[in-house]
Amino acid sequence: MENAIQIKGLRKEYKGFTLKDVSFSLPQGYIMGLVGPNGAGKTTIIKLIMNLVRRKAGEITVLGKDNIGDEAEVKSRIGFVHEAPSFYDDAPLKDIKAAVAHFYKRWDDKLFLALAGEFGLPLDKKFKKLSHGMKMKFSIALALSHDADLLILDEPTSGLDPVFRRELLERLSGLMQDERKSILFSTHITSDLERTADYITFIHDGEIVFSLPKDDIKEKWGIVKGSRALLEAQYRRLFRGIRETSVGVEALTSDIQEARRTFDSDVVIERPSIEEIMVLMDKGEHYA
Amino acid sequence: MRSLILKDLILNKKFLLWMGLLYFIYVAVFGSRIDNSRVTTFFVTFLCFVMPVMIFTREEKFKGTVLVCSLPATRKQIIMARYVLGWLLMLGFFVLATVAILAVPGSKLGPENLLNARTLIFALVLMALYFAILMPLLVRFGMVGFFVFLISMQVLGFVTLALASQSALKLNIRSSIAAIKNAFISLNSNLGAPAYYALLIVVMIALNLASFACSVSIFKRKDF
Repeated sequence: MENAIQIKGLRKEYKGFTLKDVSFSLPQGYIMGLVGPNGAGKTTIIKLIMNLVRRKAGEITVLGKDNIGDEAEVKSRIGFVHEAPSFYDDAPLKDIKAAVAHFYKRWDDKLFLALAGEFGLPLDKKFKKLSHGMKMKFSIALALSHDADLLILDEPTSGLDPVFRRELLERLSGLMQDERKSILFSTHITSDLERTADYITFIHDGEIVFSLPKDDIKEKWGIVKGSRALLEAQYRRLFRGIRETSVGVEALTSDIQEARRTFDSDVVIERPSIEEIMVLMDKGEHYA
Repeated sequence: MRSLILKDLILNKKFLLWMGLLYFIYVAVFGSRIDNSRVTTFFVTFLCFVMPVMIFTREEKFKGTVLVCSLPATRKQIIMARYVLGWLLMLGFFVLATVAILAVPGSKLGPENLLNARTLIFALVLMALYFAILMPLLVRFGMVGFFVFLISMQVLGFVTLALASQSALKLNIRSSIAAIKNAFISLNSNLGAPAYYALLIVVMIALNLASFACSVSIFKRKDF
C-alpha cells in the first residue's frame, strides 16, 4: 500500500522546543488524526510537511514525492487549511478565490460555488469582516475545491459550531469513498477523532508517543483502575501512563490481555476513550 | 509564475488603481513646478520603486505569505514572480509618470527633456539600483527593516555632511565623488554612447540577477 505521507527522523529546533526524530506514515485512502496537547508540535509537523518551516533533519515524502524537491507538484495535490487562515484582509472572498484558483489545474468552480452556498459564505464580503468560524469555512471550501489527493487540515474544527463541525466531519468521511484520497488533520477535540479517524498519531512534547490504527487502540489498549499497589515497580512495564486519583490509581496499558492475565479480578479494566488516553499520556507519569 | 503575478494583481487591483490615480496627480503637479530633468528622474524613479515595495509589504501586513507558501509554487518561483512583477510595476508607473508630466498642461519639462536615451538610461539605472539593493533587505527584514535601512541612509547622509564640513574630510569626499564621476565620463567618451549605455544595462542586469540569487537564498531559509 502506498503512503500518502511518510515521515522519517524529522527534527526541528526552536528556542525552548524541539521536535524530536518524528517518524510515522499515513497510508493512502485513510484519515489520520494528529492529536496532542497545545504546544506538543502538531502545527510544527504540518508546517514541515507544507515546507512553511525548515527542518533540521529528516525526510518527508508526500504522495510518493519529496516535499521539497517536488514542492510545486506535491502542493498542487494538497488541500491545506491553516489553523489561523490569513488572506488579504481587505479583499472580498470572490477575489481571493479567483487569485487561488489559477494555481490548480483541477480547480472546480462549480464545486466551490456549491460549497460557498452550503457554508453560507458571503462572496462579496471582505475577508476581515468574517468571524473566525466563517474564515475557517472559507479556507475549507478552497481546500476542497481542487480535487486534492491529500487534505492537510490544522485544527479545522476550532471555532466551528457543533452542527457545522459534525457536517464537516461527515463530509471528510464521505471523501474517503474515493480510495485515492487521504486526510491528515490535527485537533485537540478528541470526539472528532472518535468519529472519523482511521489512524491516530499522538504527539507529546515534540515526540511521537504512538501512531497506530484506531481499531488497534480500541482493541488492545485499556485503563486499569485499582489500588496504589499498581504503582509498584514490578507492574510499571505494563503501563504507558499512570496517575493517582482520589480513590486509587488509573493506569493506561497498551496490552489489555496481559493486564487481565496479570491482575485477574483485583482491578477494573475498561476500554479507554481517546480523551482518556490523551489525559493519561499528557498529565500522568510516563513509561515506555 | 504567471499564477503568482496574477494573484498579486487580483488581490491588489483596487490599491493599484487608487495609487495610480494619486501618483498621476502628484507627478503632474511636481512636473508643473520643477524644470530639472535630472531631479525629476531621481524623484520619479524612487516613487516607481516604492510601488512594488508597497505591494510586497501589504502581503506581509496581512500575513499573506503563509498562504503564498502553501500554494503550488517553489520559494524560488515566488521570489522570481516578485522580481518580474516589481519590474513590470516600476516600468508601468514610470510610463504613467512620464505621461503625467508631458500630457498635463503647465509642465516645465517637454519630451526633449525626458524622452532621450540619456535620461531614460539614467532612469533605468536608478530603478535597477534601488531594486537590486533594497529587495534582499525587504525579503530578509520586511517592511520594518526596509524603513530602518532608509532612515539609516538618511542618518549616514547627515553624518557625512557634518564630517564633510571638517576641512580634511571635505577634500576626500569631494575628490572621491569627482573620481567616480570622471570614471563614468571617461568610460562614456572611450566607448561611445551606445556601447556605454549597453554596458550600463548589462551591469544592471547582472546586479539584479545577483540580487535575485541573494533574495532566493534568504527566502528559502525563512520560517512562516
